[in-house]
Amino acid sequence: MEGTLDKYKEMGDLIASQGQTFVIALVILVVGLIVIKQVYKLLRRLLERFALKPQMVSTVTNIICIILLVLIVATALEHLGMNTLVIRRVIFLVSLAVIGIIAIFRPLIPTLPFKVGNTVKVGNLLGKIEATTILNTRMRTFDGRTAFIPNSKILNDYVINYHFTGTRRIKVDVGIRYDQDILKAKQILETIMIEDPRIQLKPARPTVYVLDMADHCIKLGGRCWVNNLKYWTTRCELIEKTKLRFDQEGIIIAFPQLDVHHYHGDVFPEFHGEENQVS
Amino acid sequence: MKVSDALKVIDDGWVKKPKGFRVHFQKQEVSEWVTEYSPGEQEKPLDSDVVAWRLAWKLAEASKSNMPENAEGALVNIYVVDDLGNPIKYYASNQFDVFNPMEI
Repeated sequence: MEGTLDKYKEMGDLIASQGQTFVIALVILVVGLIVIKQVYKLLRRLLERFALKPQMVSTVTNIICIILLVLIVATALEHLGMNTLVIRRVIFLVSLAVIGIIAIFRPLIPTLPFKVGNTVKVGNLLGKIEATTILNTRMRTFDGRTAFIPNSKILNDYVINYHFTGTRRIKVDVGIRYDQDILKAKQILETIMIEDPRIQLKPARPTVYVLDMADHCIKLGGRCWVNNLKYWTTRCELIEKTKLRFDQEGIIIAFPQLDVHHYHGDVFPEFHGEENQVS
Repeated sequence: MKVSDALKVIDDGWVKKPKGFRVHFQKQEVSEWVTEYSPGEQEKPLDSDVVAWRLAWKLAEASKSNMPENAEGALVNIYVVDDLGNPIKYYASNQFDVFNPMEI
């Protein structure tokens, strides 16, 4: 009983002597955390407005906040009378070790083949990368859905990054009827592509090929290069212009069809000028 | 003539790509006709003639439905021009079309 009383008395003395210091240290910690949260938001907003790239914003903000957190914890501990020199040294050494390991093993660490803001196709999902974490990647698809894709899946699946190269090739394939003027159709298609200000002359100039003499049409293939970011609208508009210009110029676009010939009796039609009779 | 020189001739002579497109229109302000462009001359022009013609058509439709002819604010002589102010053929008709035409 006396032992317990002594313990309470000791605790009371401790609170009397150190309580105020402890509370102040706690206040420093809590206020510090609130300040860090506000600084994080403010910094992010500020950097997003002026800074370069979204992934840079996240990195810079996180680093600044970690430094601030370490400073606040150290200040609180110092206020409690602890010698933070050892802690600081340990943090410094750990930081150096982490940087060294990353620098040495960076080529061996699997990295995601895109950055925040890139337009990417992962498996069947096409969209813009909004954020990446250690575990998953957040993607916003073009129809407004948000997909959380596990990084392990991304690393094991095929990925198309549309930002990796600046330009992309547009295919404008159109089939014209066999009785149409191929040269005129080629000229019209090439003119449409050349006249568009978004079509680039490099890596290759716009060209039209006769791709195939298919079942029901002569297949023409227009090929041209455009800035990756303007691919979709340019492609759609080229197709629209092609249809309209072909209509204006009297080039008839073929549609899938099958001719069925029905013969009466035992008489075949004339082939190569000869009339055939069934014997 | 080298092929590269021939291509240069083609680029200079035939391939005259406009750098952008604007919608030209006129409107009446205090009994005076004023010419304006959308996007404005100080703004970046549109990079698509299809989009520009679509904008022109919408302006024409809005002007038709909401305002009586000759009323203040009505938009007339709506067509698309390139970055130098030259009229552009309407891609749908291959003609120099004008929406809400009016002689001023």
